[in-house]
Amino acid sequence: MIQTQHLTKKFGRFTAVDKLNLYVPEGTVFGLVGENGAGKTTTLSMLATLSTPTSGKAVINGYDVVRHPSDVRRSIGFMPDSFGVYDDLSVDEYLEFYADCYAVPRAVMQKRRQDLLERVQLVDKRHTYVNALSRGMQQRLEIARCLMHNPPVLILDEPASGLDPRSRIELRSVLKELKALKKTVVISSHILYELAEFADEIGILRRGQIAAVASVSVMLQHSSSQRTLWIATKSSQHVLEQALRDVPEVSSVTYFPEGVEVIYQGTLEEQSELLLKLLRRGVRVSQFAERPTDIEALFLRLTSEREEGGSA
Amino acid sequence: MKNPILLKEFRQRMRTSRAPIVVTGYVASMGILTFFLLYENVQGQLYLFQPARSQQVFTILSLIQMIIVAFLTPAFSAGTISGERERRTLAVLLTTPLSPFSILFGKIIASSALQYLLLLASLPLYSLVFLFGGAVPQEVLAVLVFQLFTIFIIATISVMWSTVALRSGWSTVLSYATVSFMIFITGSIGLGLQSLASNPVDADVARYGQFFLSLNPLWIEAELENAVHSGNAEWVLFVIFYFAVACCLLPFCIWRLRPQWLWRIPGLTRVNERNYQ
Ligand SMILES: Nc1ncnc2c1ncn2[C@@H]1O[C@H](COP(=O)(O)OP(=O)(O)OP(=O)(O)O)[C@@H](O)[C@H]1O
Ligand SMILES: [Mg+2]
Repeated sequence: MIQTQHLTKKFGRFTAVDKLNLYVPEGTVFGLVGENGAGKTTTLSMLATLSTPTSGKAVINGYDVVRHPSDVRRSIGFMPDSFGVYDDLSVDEYLEFYADCYAVPRAVMQKRRQDLLERVQLVDKRHTYVNALSRGMQQRLEIARCLMHNPPVLILDEPASGLDPRSRIELRSVLKELKALKKTVVISSHILYELAEFADEIGILRRGQIAAVASVSVMLQHSSSQRTLWIATKSSQHVLEQALRDVPEVSSVTYFPEGVEVIYQGTLEEQSELLLKLLRRGVRVSQFAERPTDIEALFLRLTSEREEGGSA
Repeated sequence: MKNPILLKEFRQRMRTSRAPIVVTGYVASMGILTFFLLYENVQGQLYLFQPARSQQVFTILSLIQMIIVAFLTPAFSAGTISGERERRTLAVLLTTPLSPFSILFGKIIASSALQYLLLLASLPLYSLVFLFGGAVPQEVLAVLVFQLFTIFIIATISVMWSTVALRSGWSTVLSYATVSFMIFITGSIGLGLQSLASNPVDADVARYGQFFLSLNPLWIEAELENAVHSGNAEWVLFVIFYFAVACCLLPFCIWRLRPQWLWRIPGLTRVNERNYQ
């Protein structure tokens, strides 16, 4: 369980994390999404006891990060966004070292190491020096390292950063397998769709504040019922506005110089009706196509709709 | 109590062929030096048995050894913590429940172990000196213990500089400045003050000179070998002084490694500290 209350971090006058309130129930995977400089690393390093909040508090697994940092450390496995590995140590020795840091008994350590190496697909590399592994392998090794003391909470800061697409896919499959372990996980990324298939809940961080939180299952439901249509046309915006105004299935319209982007909630049949209607109204359509939904835009739209609904 | 850092560092440091090469090279060159010094001393003498002369050989040899090992130590110790920071392994290390003491202790012992080995490995050379009379075993033992202590204290201060300074470059500069202070600065100030004090005789100035000299490991070593005489056991002052220096640096190390510890002290507020990892 992770909970923060008005968690704030200032660097001088600059507020990197601003009164953050988060609640991650036990066993939940929480994705923290935000662009560069949003404050993800700052937030996670406060949770990992590496830096201390300017104000507010954070509780992990029942322990306050400021007052009981060593209990927090025992409860978490932390993977920083940029990490190094030790030279001249084999994969086995590397994992053994961190297990020793948590005083894991030898027999338990050996069994767990074997199990984790299998999970991260590095069994055949156990005698290789860690600095000789590829970046993708090191990243998977770090995940195994985080789990060597079997913590209930994992804090992963951009585990997929700097990887090529193939390694990203491998890492994602490792992460998905982790779900079976029923850990509480906070994972950050600047790409939402990377987390969508792994996280249970997603929070969007903007300039140190949570802009939106929603559960992924709700979001995916919406993304399958909402389609993004691209209609290219030379007709004037006014004509289009007229044509689209009284269509109930259209939930939002964005105008561009070459056409419009429409979020459409109707069935496929209704969609063909829409095209007919446009043509009947004299809109000269040159393209009418479905675009892959921008999941992040959808997400923000969903949450802003809900907020408006809530405040109304 | 097991120290994981110690085990890990030994694995890393002793695995490569560097350690055996350094030890062999060092013992070989000290051996050549000993042979040369003994030869110089004995050459043209009617009697091989010249205790006073070989006492000199022992003194010279052990002073040279002290200088070499003292200057070698920062090379191994001054990059320990700052090196982890530069290689980006420190953050993870600090999220483990290891205490700052066990981190520092592991680093100090691991980074000075090779120098202890050098001192022990060159012990047999002293027996060569025994062969020609001179040094007494108790003296050799006292000198060895004192040298081990001096290396330990230099390693401690270097590791602490490495914790406080954010960059290895700075901690190397600070560590070598410390060793230079111990060996050159205290020595020249001490001797300078003493010569000032002797003409006309000024007891106060002489005492200051004595104080500086007793911070100098070479001086203490020479005293232990009875090569210089200054009365009371000055090594006590040496030990206390450098112990105090390490104690003064310790809070800063803790501040870098575990800032949370310091906030328990009333009056110390949480500053907007940056991330030091
Ligand atoms: N030690 C520091 N001193 C001053 N400002 C800092 C410090 N660390 C972070 N910041 C600032 O805080 C803001 C948030 O940084 P943070 O590293 O948390 O972002 P992030 O979301 O992790 O971004 P990225 O995707 O690039 O990793 C940035 O504007 C950064 O400049
Ligand atoms: Mg970051």
